[in-house]
Amino acid sequence: MKLTKARALILIAFSVPVAIELRTVAGFFNVELPLIAVAVIEFLFLALLFVLYGLYGEGSESAA
Amino acid sequence: MATASGGGGEFVDKFPDEAAIIKASFLIAFVSLGIGAFFGLVQALHRTNVLRVIDSADYYTMLTGHGVLLAIVFTIFFLCGVFHWAVARSLDRPAESALFSWAWVGLMTTGAVLATIAILGGFVPNLGMSADVLFTFYAPLQAHPIFYIGLAMFIVGTWLSGADWFLSYRAWRKDHPDERIPLQTFMVLTTMIMWYISTLGVAVSVVFFLIPWSLGLIESVNPLLTRTLFWYFGHPIVYFWLMPAYLLWYTVLPKLAGGRLFSDPLARVVFLLFLLLSTPVGIHHQYLDPGIAEGFKFIAMTNTMFLLLPSLLTAFTVVASVEHGARQRGGEGYLRWLGALPWRDPAFTGMALAGAMFAAGGFSGMINAGMNINYLIHNTLWVPGHFHLTVGTAVALTMMAGSYWLVPQVTGTKLYSRPIGLLQVIMWFVGMVFMSNAMHRAGLAGIPRRTAEPQYQNFEFLTPIGSIFELRVQIALGGTLLFLSVVLFLFNILLTSLGEESDRPVDSYLPEPLSGPEGSPRILDNLAMWTGIAAVLVVLAYTLPLAGIIQNGGGLFGGGLPVPATVSAGFDLVMTTVTSAFNTLWGVVA
Ligand code: HEM
Ligand SMILES: [Cu+2]
Repeated sequence: MKLTKARALILIAFSVPVAIELRTVAGFFNVELPLIAVAVIEFLFLALLFVLYGLYGEGSESAA
Repeated sequence: MATASGGGGEFVDKFPDEAAIIKASFLIAFVSLGIGAFFGLVQALHRTNVLRVIDSADYYTMLTGHGVLLAIVFTIFFLCGVFHWAVARSLDRPAESALFSWAWVGLMTTGAVLATIAILGGFVPNLGMSADVLFTFYAPLQAHPIFYIGLAMFIVGTWLSGADWFLSYRAWRKDHPDERIPLQTFMVLTTMIMWYISTLGVAVSVVFFLIPWSLGLIESVNPLLTRTLFWYFGHPIVYFWLMPAYLLWYTVLPKLAGGRLFSDPLARVVFLLFLLLSTPVGIHHQYLDPGIAEGFKFIAMTNTMFLLLPSLLTAFTVVASVEHGARQRGGEGYLRWLGALPWRDPAFTGMALAGAMFAAGGFSGMINAGMNINYLIHNTLWVPGHFHLTVGTAVALTMMAGSYWLVPQVTGTKLYSRPIGLLQVIMWFVGMVFMSNAMHRAGLAGIPRRTAEPQYQNFEFLTPIGSIFELRVQIALGGTLLFLSVVLFLFNILLTSLGEESDRPVDSYLPEPLSGPEGSPRILDNLAMWTGIAAVLVVLAYTLPLAGIIQNGGGLFGGGLPVPATVSAGFDLVMTTVTSAFNTLWGVVA
C-alpha cells in the first residue's frame, strides 16, 4: 500500500496518544520510563515514517 | 433514505431559499465558533499560568462566553442549518414558507445577540450589566435580565424551527400517504420531539423563576429547583448536540467512505431510543446535590446505563458501513481495509477522527455516570476533559468536517483547499489529545474545574506518572493547536464562500442503505406513540424528585427552611396533593 501524505498524517496523529500514555502502559509492567525516553521513541517513530515516506511515498519511484 | 437529490441540479440551484437560510445559520455558527475558540485559548493559557492577558476576576465572564457561544450558539445554529438541509433534501421539497424560516433565524439570532451582549457586558465594570453565570445559568448565580430574555427568545426560535420542519413533513405526508418517513427527516423529527419535551424544563425555569427573580419581582428562588430544571434539559441537550453529528455519521459518512449505510431500521431504532431515554436521566448530573434522595439518583444512573445501548448500536452500524465502503474501494483483511479509506478527504477524515474520539469520551462518560465513582472526579478538570471529547470533538469536529462537504452545496462553490482541511482536522485531533488527556489526568489528581486559580495554599496536587507541570504544558499546547485549527477552518470556509461558482462543487449524491426501511415494523414511524411513551417516562422519573425538591427546598420559590431529602418526603407531598385535589373535586361533585 502506498504511503500517501494523508496516510502518513493519520499515522502521526495516532502516534500522539500512544506516546502520551506510553509511560502509563510501561508503568503496568513496573517499567519507569522517563519523559525523555518517550520523546526519543516518538522521534524515532517520526524519523522512520519520514524514511518510509521517502522510499514508498507519493512521488517516489517505487510507488505503484 | 430517499435519494432526493438524484433529480439533478445542486442543492443551491434547486432550493435557493433553503440554501440562504442554511448559509445564514452557518454564518452565525462560525462567528460564534471563532469567538468561543479565542476565549478557550485565553482560558487554557490563563489557568495553566502560561500567559495571562485577563484579570482572574474576569475569568467567569470569559468562561461563560466560551460555554454559551460554543455549546449553545455554535452547535444549535449549525444543527438548524443541517436539519434544514436534511429536511428539504430528503423530502425533496422546499419549506412551506421562506418568511417563516427567516422568522426563526431572526428570533434565534436576536436572542443569541442579546445574551452575548449581557455576557460581554461583564468586561465593562461601569456598565452594570453582567451575566457571569456560566452556560449552566442556574441559581444562585444571577445574570442581568437581558441574558435570560435573550435565552428565552433563542429557545422559542428553536421551537419555531422545529415547527418549520414538522410543517414540511405534514405537507409531504399529504402527497405521500403510504410512504415511510425518509430517514433524514425521521431523524430530524424525533430529535425535535426530544427537544420540545426537554426544553419545557428550562423554559419553566427561565420564565417563571429566573426572569422574575432577576427583575426583582420575586425575592428568592429555590436553587435546587432551578438546578434540577436545568439538568432536566441539560442532559437531553447533549443529545441535541449529538444528533446532527449522528445524522451526518449515519447518512453522509458511509457515502464519503465509498459505501452505504448498513441498516436504515437500526438507525431509526437508535433515534427512538434517544427520544425515550435522554430526558429521564438528568439527575445523573446531580449525584452530589444534597437535596435529592439517593434512590432517585440510583434510578437516573440505571437509565443512563441503558443509554449506552443506542450509542453502542451506533458504533456498530457506523463502523460496519464504513468498513463496507472500504471493501467497495478494494480494502481487504481484518484491519488492512482501514488503509483503503479516503483519508485524503477532510470531510471523511474529520468525521472518522471525531468518531474515534467519541469512543474515548464514551469511556470517560461511563465513569461520570457511575454514582460512586463520580465522586472521584466530580467538579474536577476531568469533566471538561470528558466533554471536549464529546461536544468539543465528536460534535464540533464532525460539524467542521461536515462543512467541507455541506458548505459547497449551499454556496455552489468548490472547497478552497482540501489539504488545508485535512491538516485542520488532524490538528484538532492532536490538539485535543493533548488538552483532553491532560485534563482527565489533572482531574484525577484533584485539580478543580471552573477556576482561574486552580491551586490551594499548602497543598500540592500529585500525579502517579509525570508531573503537574507537564499536564499544564499539555493543556496549553493542546489549546493552542485547537485554536489554530479553528483559524484554519474559518479561513478555508471563508475563501470557499468567496470562490467562483461551480457546476458541480461536490458529489452530493447519497446512496440507498444496504438494508432499507421496507422490512422494518411500521410502528417505528408512529411518532405520536413514541412521544407519549417518552412523556410517561419523564413523568415517572421526575414527579417524585421534583415534589421532594419543592417540599424540602422551602417551596417553589425557596425561602423556607430546607429539610433533609428522603424518598418518603417526596412521596408525602404527592400523596397530600393528590388527596387534597381529590377532596376538592369530590366537594364539587357531591
Ligand atoms: C479552541 C478550542 C478550545 C479550547 C482551547 C477550550 C478550552 C477550554 C478550557 C480550558 C475550559 C475549562 C475552563 C475551566 O473549567 O476553568 C473549557 C471549558 C468548556 N468548553 Fe472549551 N475549549 C475549546 C473548544 C470547545 C468547544 C468546541 C466546545 C463545544 C462545542 C467547548 C465547550 C466548553 C464548555 C461547555 C466548557 C465548560 C464551561 C463551564 O465550565 O461553564 N469548548 N474549554
Ligand atoms: Cu448527562
